[in-house]
Amino acid sequence: MSTNTLTERYVHEVVRRLPADQRDDIADELRTTIADTIEARDPARPEAVEREVLSEMGDPIRHAARYADRPLALIGPDLYPTYIRLLAFLLTTVLPVITAVFVLLEIVDGNGLGAAVGAGVETVFTVGAQMVTVLTVLFAVAERAGHRKGTLIRTTDWTPDDLPETREPQKVGVGAVLTAVWYALLLGLTVWQQLSEPYRTNGGERIAVLDPDLWSGWIWPILIGLAGLVVLALVRVITHGWTSRLAVLHAIAQAVFVLPLAWILQQRQIFNPDFLADVTDNTTPEVYTGAALIVLVASLIAVVNGFRAAKK
Amino acid sequence: MATEEIALGQAQELRRGTVVLACLALLRKPQYGYALLETLNDAGVTVDGNTLYPLLRRLEKQGLLTSEWNTDESRPRKFYRVSPEGSRVRTSLVREWQDLVASISRLTKENG
Repeated sequence: MSTNTLTERYVHEVVRRLPADQRDDIADELRTTIADTIEARDPARPEAVEREVLSEMGDPIRHAARYADRPLALIGPDLYPTYIRLLAFLLTTVLPVITAVFVLLEIVDGNGLGAAVGAGVETVFTVGAQMVTVLTVLFAVAERAGHRKGTLIRTTDWTPDDLPETREPQKVGVGAVLTAVWYALLLGLTVWQQLSEPYRTNGGERIAVLDPDLWSGWIWPILIGLAGLVVLALVRVITHGWTSRLAVLHAIAQAVFVLPLAWILQQRQIFNPDFLADVTDNTTPEVYTGAALIVLVASLIAVVNGFRAAKK
Repeated sequence: MATEEIALGQAQELRRGTVVLACLALLRKPQYGYALLETLNDAGVTVDGNTLYPLLRRLEKQGLLTSEWNTDESRPRKFYRVSPEGSRVRTSLVREWQDLVASISRLTKENG
C-alpha cells in the first residue's frame, strides 16, 4: 500500500466527500489504481509521475462527485424551469405589489415623499434579495434531496396550456396609461385631502373633505384596491395588453376597491360631517345610492372588458 | 480547427454509451480497474480512468457487476465481473448495437 503523502492527501480529500459506508472501499481502490498507474507509466521516477497522475485525476471535489453521482450544479435541469418561472413571477408580480403597499404606508403615515421613495427603494432591494435567496436555497436543497433518494423529483409536467399567451401589440397602451394615471390620481387625492386638510370652513378651520373616521376602517381596502389597480395598469403598459392572469388580478383589485366604496357611499359615510354642515348639503339619500350603483356598474364594466380583452 | 474540435466532441458523444457495452463484454472474466482500462484502450475503446472507475461502481450499484477484493498479491485489488443480470443486459445491448450499425450503414449508404 502506498504511503506516499500526496496520494494519501488526495484520497482523503476525495473520500471525505462520500457517504461513510463507501469511504474505505473507494479509498482502497483509489490507492491501488493510482499506484498501478504510476507503476505502469514510469517506475523509475515515482514522485514526478505521482504528481502527473494526480493532476490528471483533477479536482478532488469533482472526482468525488463522479463517485457520489452528485450534481455539480446548484439547480439541475429538472428543477430549473420551475425555478425560473417562480422567480420571474415573484420579481415581476409579487415584489411590485409589496413595494406599493410599503410606499403607501409611508405616505399614509405622513412621512413625506422622500421617506416614501426611500421605503420603495429599500423594499425593492431587501425583499427582492430575500426572494431570490430563499427561493434559490429551497431549490438547491430540493435538488440534493432528490438526488439522495435516487429518484428525481418530478416537477409538475408541462402542458401546452402553460404557454404564455402571445400578446398582440394592442394599440400602444394609451388606455392603460390613462387608467394608471386616473387611479393614481384618486389614490393621491384621497391621501392628500386627509394630510393637508385643504377645505377651509367659514370659521377658517381647515378640515378634510372625506370623513376622517374612515381612516380607522373602510379607507384601507379602498386604498389597497386603488394601489393594485395602478400597478396592474402599469403592468399592462409594460406587457402591451391583457392576459387572463392580469384580468383575474384586476377583478380582485376592483372588488377590493369598489365594494367598500359603494358601501360607504350608500351608508352616507363618505364625507366629513363638518364639511357637509359647512356646504349646507341638501343631497337626498337617493343620490348616494345612485352614486353607489354607478361605481358598481362602472367597475363591473371594467372587469368584463378586462376579461374580454384577455380572451382575444 | 473549430470543425475538428466539433467533430472530436461529437465522436466522444458517440463513444460514451459504448464503454458500458465494452465493460460488460470484457468482464466475463474478472478484472481489476487499471488492467481493464489498459485492455479497453488497447482494444481501441478509448476511455479515461476518471470516467471508467466511477462507472464500474455505478454498474455494480445497479447490479450489473459484482466485485471481490483479491489480497493474494502485494497490492490488494478490487476485481469486477459481470453478474447474471449484467449478462442479460449485455445481450440486449449487443442486439441494440447491431441494429444501430445496420441502420446507420443503410442511412449513410443511401445518402452518402
